[in-house]
Amino acid sequence: MQIIENLKVNEKLFLEKLENGMAVMIIPKKDMKKKYMIWGTNYGSNDNIFVVPGEEKETEVPNGVAHFLEHKMFEQENGTNSLDTLTSLGVDANAYTTNNHTAYLFECTDNFYEAMDELMDYVQNPYFTDENVEKEKGIIGQEIKMYDDYPDWRVYMNAMQAMYHNNPVKIDIAGSIESISKIDKEILYKCYNTFYNPSNMAMVICGDFEPEKLLEEIKKRLKKTKSEGTIKRISPDEPENIVKGKIEQKLDVSQPMYTVGIKVKPINNSVQEMIKRDISIQILLEILVGKSSELYKELYTQGIIYGGIGASYEFTKDYSHILISGQSSNPEEVYAKIKDRINLLKNNEINEKDVSRIKKKVYGEYVREYNDVTDISRMFLSDYFKGINSFEYLEEIVNINVEYLKQVLNDVFKEDKMVISIVKS
Amino acid sequence: MEYIEKTIKKGIKVHSLKTNKFKTNLIAIFLTSELSRKTVTSNALISAVLRRGSKNMPTQEEISKELEELYGATFDCGIDKTGDNQVLKFYIESINDKFLPQKDENMLKTSIEKILDIVFNPLIKDEAFDKEYVAQEKENIKHRIEGKIDNKARYALDRCIEEMYKDKPFGLYKFGYVEDLENINEKNLYQQYKDLINECKIDIFISGDIDDNIESIILENEKVKELKEREPKYNKESEQEREKHGEITEKMDVNQGKLVIGLDVNTQSEDEKYYTLVYNNILGGSANSKIFQNVREKANLAYVASSNYFRYKNNIFINCGIEISNYQKAVDLIKIQLEDMKKGNFTDEEIENAKKSIVAIIRTIDDEQDTGITYYFGQELSNNKTSIENYIKKIEGVKRENILDVANKIDINTIYFLRD
Repeated sequence: MQIIENLKVNEKLFLEKLENGMAVMIIPKKDMKKKYMIWGTNYGSNDNIFVVPGEEKETEVPNGVAHFLEHKMFEQENGTNSLDTLTSLGVDANAYTTNNHTAYLFECTDNFYEAMDELMDYVQNPYFTDENVEKEKGIIGQEIKMYDDYPDWRVYMNAMQAMYHNNPVKIDIAGSIESISKIDKEILYKCYNTFYNPSNMAMVICGDFEPEKLLEEIKKRLKKTKSEGTIKRISPDEPENIVKGKIEQKLDVSQPMYTVGIKVKPINNSVQEMIKRDISIQILLEILVGKSSELYKELYTQGIIYGGIGASYEFTKDYSHILISGQSSNPEEVYAKIKDRINLLKNNEINEKDVSRIKKKVYGEYVREYNDVTDISRMFLSDYFKGINSFEYLEEIVNINVEYLKQVLNDVFKEDKMVISIVKS
Repeated sequence: MEYIEKTIKKGIKVHSLKTNKFKTNLIAIFLTSELSRKTVTSNALISAVLRRGSKNMPTQEEISKELEELYGATFDCGIDKTGDNQVLKFYIESINDKFLPQKDENMLKTSIEKILDIVFNPLIKDEAFDKEYVAQEKENIKHRIEGKIDNKARYALDRCIEEMYKDKPFGLYKFGYVEDLENINEKNLYQQYKDLINECKIDIFISGDIDDNIESIILENEKVKELKEREPKYNKESEQEREKHGEITEKMDVNQGKLVIGLDVNTQSEDEKYYTLVYNNILGGSANSKIFQNVREKANLAYVASSNYFRYKNNIFINCGIEISNYQKAVDLIKIQLEDMKKGNFTDEEIENAKKSIVAIIRTIDDEQDTGITYYFGQELSNNKTSIENYIKKIEGVKRENILDVANKIDINTIYFLRD
């Protein structure tokens, strides 16, 4: 196994790329009783149009298939449900779907290998019937309706709608009640067979383990599968411009909620640049709207915002955007002031002292990620699917200087790429 | 992990959780007092005003900058209802010196000093808090209180509790009441702060890679020296309210109906709380539970279908998100599950599974810093302290007849439904 050590956090990553193309990452954590295992496929709600390896024609599937598949993977041919089986072992099992990947996981203290038997068995053996697919529609329908009642989710999805013309990131991960009604077992099998090939998957385990021994145990449980050809994913062309500058929805909320979105042209040629941009945007967002910023102080003391301003950067090779959100009596004013602050920063020097202080903060945040086996595993998995080794963040941060920040500020924070989404009563 | 507690003055304790599992040190200060309508709003406001500025860091901006210099130490405060007590919680988390790029600071010592400064050394002028801070935070907390409708599922649970504990301490909203804000000003709020600090139970927790002289940092702090001995005023016992409230339906603009059923657990002893934990796990505490299996997996009525045990108040709350037209179906189905439990229609396997799930959670308490602190604080507030090992033994010792006995001491208090 390849061993990658990071002395800053004093952790080691044991990495093995198996013959079938699957990556196995093990991060040993001595003294932790908690063990975490996560197995993911590089397949999420965005992968709706693709060419199955060996076929020529494109396949297009209804919205929400990846998430639907995640729900149905637990069903077994012998009538049992793997979630029940895992729960019976006293382990805490779950699964989730994002825009880009689907993951199956459990955490436990005891019965690790028994749980691993079950997890690896059910992920490799789907069992879909007309009946079990039909019954799930009721459950997922309630999941979709639950999200419809979350104003913070609605304000986020609407911001996506305002930014993206075609990219499926603008569509709800679970799809809609209408789109999932079209899902049947044939569609599920087709997607499963395409995307659940080991060459498209990765596994992370974190806990008190001997990596080499654990790797052998994993190999024993893997079915013999040939690495398939590359899956051609068809991402619709996405113009650089936004759809509309403003979007509003009415919902019963105590005070308006807002999300400001900034659409950013994705980087898809250099992993190092992706990381550097990510770190830089985090630093810039802290300077612009963070707890110690002028803007935060101004809005807070004037009673325009209460609580914090959330700010994040999301990116893949296909899309990237910044999101700034919170609750305010006057979202339009918050929006105007954010724009002013961006311009002010563009027209002035970025303060070196601020940067070095914020860099310390961001560094501390990265270190903190290594406290918990769950956080570590999820971080390594999701970064892996972006082609990133999570340790790199700890190393790249020193390479960010004021000039670089200025360049990112000018490249990324463009006024004509900004939208605001508001939910209010 | 090594846990040591020490009373530094009557009513004030320091708890150290010595561990080197983490990259961080976590310090927490908990101020515990009796929940009452008279003080609930002002106490909530106090916690908001304290984080605006202290004597040594008079503005929020300064506090934030100092924390950023400490490699992004995070300061956090919150308010909890624990039984019939209101607990003001303050936390500071900073990375351990071992993981700093330059070895120049004593992060733990500085962090302890910062949090002590924020909680015990507030910005005071002429026997009053800062006028502007109080005015602004009154406005903020008003939004916070009104904001309880924003999360509909949480709102439904809060409303069910409020109805079950009408005019009782536990029925109070932890952030207080808008109408009570009117009479609060910077002067009387400071008076309330002094009363609180002089009378409440104070617990200081330090978790991390700490050495033995850590206590001295606290003991030598000027503000800690000034703290008086006290007979702390807080509720060790929690009053049980058993008046039934029937079915309550309320309307709001929702897409999905939120059903909450509040159950009374009419048991007396401490040991019965362990039985109830196992009972609750079988009823609605996991994916194998009766409610999850029957309401979600078999009838497909819900995505969320679960139950939670509030051990301080001895209540179980069942939560489901359902189609509004399925209300009666869901309620009937849940009642059948409760009856099944009373009749003993649960298998030995279900009992074993429930125990395993609970034990697995208990075993990982020491693997999460904040969970560790929460556990030991919970033990501190309850009358008989139990070690983690003993807790596990108690769970493992629960027998079928114990669960059956609990099942027959449980009845429905309130059925609350939020719909459009």
